[in-house]
Amino acid sequence: MTTTIIILCTLAALLELDTTYAFQTLVSRPIIAGPLLGLFMGDVLAGVQVGVFAELLLLDISPLGGIIPPSGVVATAIPLILYSQGIELHFGFFLGILAAICYSFFDTFLRKTRFKWLIYSEQRIGRKPADLWRILIMSLALSFLMTFVFISTATWLCTQVMLMVTPLISAKVNFAFHLAYLAVPWIGLATLIPTFRLKTR
Amino acid sequence: MSFWLRINMFFRSFFLQAGWNFVKYQNLGFAFVMVPFLRKVYQYDPEMLPTVMLRYLETFNTHPVMASFCYGAMAKQEESVAKAKSVTDYKEQVAEWNGARRGLSITAASIGDRLFWGTLKPFTLVMAIFLWIALGVNFFEDMGPEYTPLLSIFTAPAAAFVVYNAIALYVRWKGIKIGYESNESSCFGLTRFDWNRTIYNAKRMGIFFAAGLILFALYRYFRFIEVDIDFLARAVLVIFFVCISFITRRLRIPNVYLYITSVLIFTGVCLF
Repeated sequence: MTTTIIILCTLAALLELDTTYAFQTLVSRPIIAGPLLGLFMGDVLAGVQVGVFAELLLLDISPLGGIIPPSGVVATAIPLILYSQGIELHFGFFLGILAAICYSFFDTFLRKTRFKWLIYSEQRIGRKPADLWRILIMSLALSFLMTFVFISTATWLCTQVMLMVTPLISAKVNFAFHLAYLAVPWIGLATLIPTFRLKTR
Repeated sequence: MSFWLRINMFFRSFFLQAGWNFVKYQNLGFAFVMVPFLRKVYQYDPEMLPTVMLRYLETFNTHPVMASFCYGAMAKQEESVAKAKSVTDYKEQVAEWNGARRGLSITAASIGDRLFWGTLKPFTLVMAIFLWIALGVNFFEDMGPEYTPLLSIFTAPAAAFVVYNAIALYVRWKGIKIGYESNESSCFGLTRFDWNRTIYNAKRMGIFFAAGLILFALYRYFRFIEVDIDFLARAVLVIFFVCISFITRRLRIPNVYLYITSVLIFTGVCLF
């Protein structure tokens, strides 16, 4: 079980690099990352469902200018990892969305602090342009590591919270989370038409 | 610009955002993409390279795919800078280079954001959902223990991946060449494509498919249900969220907050 979780966290951290730092082939978008993570987790259909729901929910926030939207990979990976540990998808999805929002703040913090060592790096590049390779690889490795640490910590925290809270959750609360989860595709689908409006805000 | 040099820049362009930061944005990645070209231009004057690199390490921010036009155009401008005959000429060329970099990056970013993030990404999402529904992949409601072939499951994401990347890679590859071969009068090649018409047509198609998808989803959601209390509950839920979603969009409240609020409200209602 632990090996599966580590593999999923590693894969999620690698996929997250595609969101911003490398390639941008959109393999990190939830509708692709979801089934991929689901395949590793052992339930591809759960991966598809979480992927579609996460993408529909995050559809209205684009990475324009300096905006860092909630991470689609985090929103997909955390529910699936929790699901692999027996936690219901509707609880996992809620925690995943919260973690994705937290990740956008975490990433903002990382990008702000990164500049401090990049100033030093720029001076080095000025003297020796060949060092660019090393600096970019270091930057990618750091991003991967920080994402991995974030996803692992968030997963561990969410698991602990759920283990503590599960015995206290009544059938009514369970129903409420489930109902809100089933509303997600409708919230997303209602956003799709305005997304294709010709005059976008 | 030789074919191999273009290939080198093309592959390096995938790392444009590797050093993204809030002060100079994509400057490190931009310098990284341009290094092979700069080495070629300054091969007989390598002492100039560190000074030139500092110019490339200034603020740069654009759309990662559309940036290819900037690479080509900046390469062309750099050749003029390298050929400057006097200090005054050099300063003029550098000023022109700077103006082109700033103007082109903003224009390319605007087109890229509208085309790739605003149109192509949601369009491929609609396409993928359509394919999943058509192939009988049941993700919409509670999943049963039914067996769905992996091929059916992975066809939709693969199609979304291929469609998006076919266009993105084409623009990345062609942009370098077009940007290099064009001049200021054609906005460094950006006017070669009718972006507005492309975006307009894609959005029109998107609306058509999205409306179809919603109708199809409604049909699947309600098809086996008789008009009873369950049907009414579902109908109220759907109409409520569709209406609320339109309102929150007008108020510029992201969907994630609507979802979190729904969870809290539903929990509150269920508890009390």
